[in-house]
Amino acid sequence: MEKELVEYIAKSLVDDPSGVVVNMVEGEKSTILELKVSEGDIGKVIGKHGRIAKAIRTILSASSTKSGKRVVLEILD
Amino acid sequence: MEVKEFEGKNEEEAINKAIEALGLNRDDIDVEIVEAKKSSFIFGGGKVKIRVHLEEEREESTGSLEPAGDFENQIIEFIEGLIQRIGISAHVQISFREDNKIGIDIDSQDSGILIGKRGQTLEALQTIANVAASRIQDGHPRIIVDSQDYRSRRERSLVRLAYQTADEVRRTRDSKLLEAMNPFERRLIHTALSKERDVETSSEGEGLYKRVRVYYRGSRNRG
Repeated sequence: MEKELVEYIAKSLVDDPSGVVVNMVEGEKSTILELKVSEGDIGKVIGKHGRIAKAIRTILSASSTKSGKRVVLEILD
Repeated sequence: MEVKEFEGKNEEEAINKAIEALGLNRDDIDVEIVEAKKSSFIFGGGKVKIRVHLEEEREESTGSLEPAGDFENQIIEFIEGLIQRIGISAHVQISFREDNKIGIDIDSQDSGILIGKRGQTLEALQTIANVAASRIQDGHPRIIVDSQDYRSRRERSLVRLAYQTADEVRRTRDSKLLEAMNPFERRLIHTALSKERDVETSSEGEGLYKRVRVYYRGSRNRG
């Protein structure tokens, strides 16, 4: 669920949707989602002063509230 | 948002004056008591001062509008898809159209989650919706995302907070620092108090979320 959510948001933000990849790493206490986008699109998913990244994380935590799972987003560059 | 003040011998008289002057029903106005002096046995004549908070009228203030055109249909579809993936079922509709602004209302049983702490989830959804909107159409109207009228309720309570803080610094002849707010919220405070001659406001701190300090005029250069 959270993986699809991050994919959906990321694809709506970038120039190259086919370059969006989300890997799920299940940890002991939480799940880590690693978001990878095409090189030229990194700024698009982070935003000025990290504004977009923060918005994605906030939406993700709303989703965790609903599902009860703790999910951490990492943006790979 | 507009604010008007009325006076009467008692609360009821002040409210009746307001209702008459504004041509509204009692249920339509939001009243705050600013000052209340009880009438004294000897001198008589009590005084009650009230403040009425008026909302600016929107062309379509009630109900929802049918989405018109590709842009509106696509942005609604995008937001529906987003909320669905959060794991929440909701009904998304257009609530108003204003010059270069479109209001999106999210109707859901889980609107508390979608609003988030101090509206931060709503803010995040709005940020993403506006970036998505810019991908759908160049020079798109600004998307305002709301649920259960959270924004107008918050606006009203901030304007009220502004006036209450002004009254407080007048009493203490000092200044007061408010909690951290986003730029839109801070502007509401600055604007609400811009006409009050004896108080001043300024923002403190770094980043997107700053805090507004309300000063009593004259306290600023002291100590």
